[in-house]
Amino acid sequence: MTGPATAADFVTSVKRPDDIDAFWDDVLARTAAIPLDAEAVFDPLRSTPLVDVYAVHYTSLDHVRIAGWYARPANHTGQLPGLLIVPGYTMEPIIPKVWAAKGYAAFSVAPRGKLRSNGQFNPGYPGLLTYGIVDRNTYAYRGFYMDACRGVDFLLSRDEVDGARLGVTGHSQGGGLAIVVPALRPEVTVSTSGAPYLCGFMDAIDLTDGYPYYEINDYLRLNPESRQQVTDTLAYFDGINLAPRVTCPIIVNIGLQDSTCPPETGYALFRAIGSEDKRLYDYDGHGHDANNAVHAGIIDAFLAQHLQP
Amino acid sequence: MTTPAYERPADFDAFWQSVLDELAQLPMAPDVEEVPLRSSDFANVYGVRLTSIGPYRIFGYLSIPRGQGPFPARYFLPRYGSVSDLVPQGTANGQRRRYVTFSLSVRGQRRADSPYAASFPGQLTDGIDDPNTYIYRGIIADCCRGLEYLAQRPEVDTGRIAAIGTDLSLITAALCPRVTHLVSTPVIHHRALERAAATQAYPLEELNDYLRMYPDRRDLVANTLAHYDLAGFAPTVEANTLLIADSGANGVRADYLEAVAQAINGPAELHESEHSNYRDGTFAEVWLSERLGMDPCLPPHWQGWAG
Repeated sequence: MTGPATAADFVTSVKRPDDIDAFWDDVLARTAAIPLDAEAVFDPLRSTPLVDVYAVHYTSLDHVRIAGWYARPANHTGQLPGLLIVPGYTMEPIIPKVWAAKGYAAFSVAPRGKLRSNGQFNPGYPGLLTYGIVDRNTYAYRGFYMDACRGVDFLLSRDEVDGARLGVTGHSQGGGLAIVVPALRPEVTVSTSGAPYLCGFMDAIDLTDGYPYYEINDYLRLNPESRQQVTDTLAYFDGINLAPRVTCPIIVNIGLQDSTCPPETGYALFRAIGSEDKRLYDYDGHGHDANNAVHAGIIDAFLAQHLQP
Repeated sequence: MTTPAYERPADFDAFWQSVLDELAQLPMAPDVEEVPLRSSDFANVYGVRLTSIGPYRIFGYLSIPRGQGPFPARYFLPRYGSVSDLVPQGTANGQRRRYVTFSLSVRGQRRADSPYAASFPGQLTDGIDDPNTYIYRGIIADCCRGLEYLAQRPEVDTGRIAAIGTDLSLITAALCPRVTHLVSTPVIHHRALERAAATQAYPLEELNDYLRMYPDRRDLVANTLAHYDLAGFAPTVEANTLLIADSGANGVRADYLEAVAQAINGPAELHESEHSNYRDGTFAEVWLSERLGMDPCLPPHWQGWAG
């Protein structure tokens, strides 16, 4: 058996559907037709003298109510850059107080199925990754992606947010969403993506031996006749296929020993990103952490350069 | 810099013995159902429901290799959050070929969230004014119940049961002598108030939030946390132990864990994180498999590790 010499040489099997742009334009239009109906309730328990914290809810696709945490400097003057923080697959969305303390109006979204957003939709973990996977119109991530995108609408609805300075940051699934959101919402002006998940799904299930991608292996073992349908659906949701729509400045970090989101897919994603201003940080000796302990400082500086908190 | 010594409450042993006694009075009442979606050609997977104190029903994913046992067992204790993975994310799913694995969801977590659904953030301070009302009293009983169930499975080699996780794995090993090997990466319950004062990062920030809102309760909170501190449990841990220290925002530094490691009653090794889950994960896998007499089970991207 012969294979690529290194992960960087990997050639993805992902094919871009001809109608992917039309598909997402339709989903975005359906979402935009639903009033946001945002509410932000001050949370005195989580607030500090320096940071105000709000529990947020808004309405997304399928009229699902979505939760999130909004944090901003307590005594700010003038407008603030907005920062959308997108969560990992099984992690709980953070309360972004640390970002607020740095001068951002920071919103951390809990897309459908996450705690506080699971009253109407709750496929569980494991489960989310294959929920409705045989049809792109019913796949869980159709709404999930919109829930994250609506975080942009929430930030833009705030008077204190400068819509010309709007960033997205995330790791793992958040790293995938940090591709998806700027791809679908051109209002985003900068993004950082760490160890991106949701990229090269059908490659990853052969490259890795672990969950969460293994949920797809489980599904196909029980439903082998559905492989083509699954492949067809995932092509519409694959970050590699959405990446050409990303045009904002972006940095991506990956670990070359990542056993969760394989580096092969990270390289393929990076090549597909449409931005002229893009940079890849590939860290040898690191797994799914993608050298966060060091790279967090690079993210801070990159966002500060573009968003000027 | 000097650091204050941990003071073990005088009623520490009696407090935990009362929890174990309460648990012992309740039948496990296991309800076991195969999960075909997660079963494979190499292992069968079952959803297991058990009764813990309360009484309260908890959940676990049990994976049993096909073939002739008994097999060594890996007992995965949950991290802080609503989700427990079938096997920890990033580790090799193939470990289920050679080990019985049991991944527990304690009260409040998904699949064990009725009637009590924990909030994150929120769980860390739930009932924290009193050791008897603190939510972790029940959570720790849940962990002991899960081990009790695992150890009585006929497929399990009871001479090789490893508890793996964060704080809860060490606490379980302390309270349940059936744990023979322990891999623990503490994150919360050691000198928690002191560490919280130096961070804004959750989950420890929950303690700061709580005391900002209720400053008069500091002594109550400190007393409760003293009953749940890893340093209090360490002297009754007899398992062969690997402790992993992490100086990051969500770990416990090596100089803090040194005293815990020294207090452990069995052989204990303290390993300092290299801030790489590849390096730390591989180190732990090699350490554990060697002591269990097994070959390491590494995911494909970790197999070039040279130590």
